[in-house]
Amino acid sequence: MNVLIVEDEKSLANEILLYLRKENFLCDVAFTGTEASEKIAVNLYDFVLLDLGLPDYDGLDLIREARKNNIDVAFIIITARGAVEDRVRGLDLGADDYLPKPFALVELHSRLMAVARRKFKITDADINLGEFIMGIQARKLLHQGNEVDLTKKEFDLLHYLVINHGKVLARHQLYEHIWGNTLDDQYDSNFIDVHIKNIRKKMNMHGPTPWLETVRGVGYRISTQE
Amino acid sequence: MKLQTKLALFNLISKLIFSALFIGFLPLIIERINTLQTDRELIDKREEVIKLISEIGLEPLITSEAETGFGSYNILKEEFISLERIDLEEDWNFIEVATRIVDEETIDYRVLNYSIKIDGQTYLLEIGKSLSSIRYAAKNIRTVILLFLALFIAVTLITDLTYTARILRPLKIITRRLVTTSTPSLADFSPVVTTTKDFRQLDQTLRELMMRIDELFRKEKEITVNISHELMTPVSVLRSKLENMLMKKDLDPEIEIGIDESLRTLHRLKSLINSLLMIARLESRQYLREDEVSLEELITEIKGELSPIAADAGVRITTDCPGTFIFRKANRSLLFSMFYNVVNNAIKNTPPEGSIHVRGEKTGEKYIVTLTDTGRGMTEKQLEIIFSRFRTKLDPDSDSTGIGLAITKSIADFHGIGLNVKSQPDKGTEFSFIFP
Repeated sequence: MNVLIVEDEKSLANEILLYLRKENFLCDVAFTGTEASEKIAVNLYDFVLLDLGLPDYDGLDLIREARKNNIDVAFIIITARGAVEDRVRGLDLGADDYLPKPFALVELHSRLMAVARRKFKITDADINLGEFIMGIQARKLLHQGNEVDLTKKEFDLLHYLVINHGKVLARHQLYEHIWGNTLDDQYDSNFIDVHIKNIRKKMNMHGPTPWLETVRGVGYRISTQE
Repeated sequence: MKLQTKLALFNLISKLIFSALFIGFLPLIIERINTLQTDRELIDKREEVIKLISEIGLEPLITSEAETGFGSYNILKEEFISLERIDLEEDWNFIEVATRIVDEETIDYRVLNYSIKIDGQTYLLEIGKSLSSIRYAAKNIRTVILLFLALFIAVTLITDLTYTARILRPLKIITRRLVTTSTPSLADFSPVVTTTKDFRQLDQTLRELMMRIDELFRKEKEITVNISHELMTPVSVLRSKLENMLMKKDLDPEIEIGIDESLRTLHRLKSLINSLLMIARLESRQYLREDEVSLEELITEIKGELSPIAADAGVRITTDCPGTFIFRKANRSLLFSMFYNVVNNAIKNTPPEGSIHVRGEKTGEKYIVTLTDTGRGMTEKQLEIIFSRFRTKLDPDSDSTGIGLAITKSIADFHGIGLNVKSQPDKGTEFSFIFP
């Protein structure tokens, strides 16, 4: 998939580029609004990662331009301005998602994938987890036909680990994904531990969960060995 | 009480008091006027009689049979005139009230007594007018006056009300604008149309004040946006760099731990910046208040979210919010944070086997949510500073920045929610949220 990274902070643009290339995206970078405007008009992108605080452009104008010219590209706003109405205005203009800085690169990746699934109308297939089956559409976890009784938060947590399987997710990354920014101050690494403990307990009543690994001192990972 | 009502009430009461006094004194006044009038009439008549006597002499008046005098009543006995010979030491000239019996009927008259000397003989002239005829006239006058008074009060009351309503309308508009404006940026800045100088000045002063606050808020908003951008951009760069580093294969475990710790520290920095910016945004009213929030639902949701954490800490959470109280013009996610912070704070400060109870109830006009815990409580000194930023971090090992209760207070202030705390060391703490 093609991504244009519009970001005037060069070192950040490069880090995003480095990461997304590793995740097999085709990436292009624009450091100014003018450059971005030209590139969007000429090239076909699937995504534009759009920083709103550009020196020469109001980032939202890029969305307006693209929509006016009927360019079908998904905009994901990334911004450090944190203005309350930016999010509302951006989404009103037809941006597909909004990610406040600083974000985790895995979070960016999972947002891109979520937008892609929406955009290309991909129906999420059920995922096999050892003896368990995770029904993404139905939001249910099944073990040989029996439903494992997970809360919404527990399901979200497990799902986030599943879509990032093979990667270690730090507790604060998991917390950020589930609880967002408004409860930032209440972050407690224990939160995630308690939820994982409960998920394990509930699943172990049905079957073993060796694939849900604790990475000491860091966080959790779902291994792909099985 | 409204100014308009007060004015109308004052007008009415002052008029009523004046009228009551007037009505009270009315009989006296009328009687006085009547008496004066009657006396004048009697004197006029006396002059006429004297004139008559001087013209025609006494003879035609005094009959031969009763040589002593002359008397005449009109048919209804309202008036009489009499002239009789009398022996008097002095001259009489006075008016008095006297009773006469005429045809076996006792009648009170106002009588003029006047002595005339004719040919060395003294005669007494009496001219009378019956009191009942005088009183009848007085009664008529009183009825007319009372009717007029009632009409006067009714008419002036209506005109007063209409007029005060009219001249006070600008004040009403100004008040309504102040009451309904939640943020200065949404205020109606058009001048109020009025010819009253006071209102014009009031309106102008308030509008200027509002614009200045709006300007200050706008500046603060700009500052928060700038601060956010300036601080979050480098944090973002650092974070991405460290995350990319951590993804490299075959890292030295020591470096891996170092990077991970740096990332955690960075997360704390981010949380802190976000919290401070949130307070600044709350203080400059940057959040929208467009949600209608059911407190019962909200508290149930928070209970659901925090129950696993509480269970892990051995603390029981119970809620009791009967009746659905809908809080209008609210920001749901902010309210969520507000309660979440206190409940989470209570969990942290309550030892195992303890409990937390959230109760919502309507007390009088207000809805009050009270959170009681059986935690370790606080001393007076700690209570004083619990809403201050940074000073409340009691547990140095915790990940939180210790700013949670300051945020709670700011969110409560933003919504106009009153917040009280009571606490006793080793007994527990009670937070009360008083909804407007």
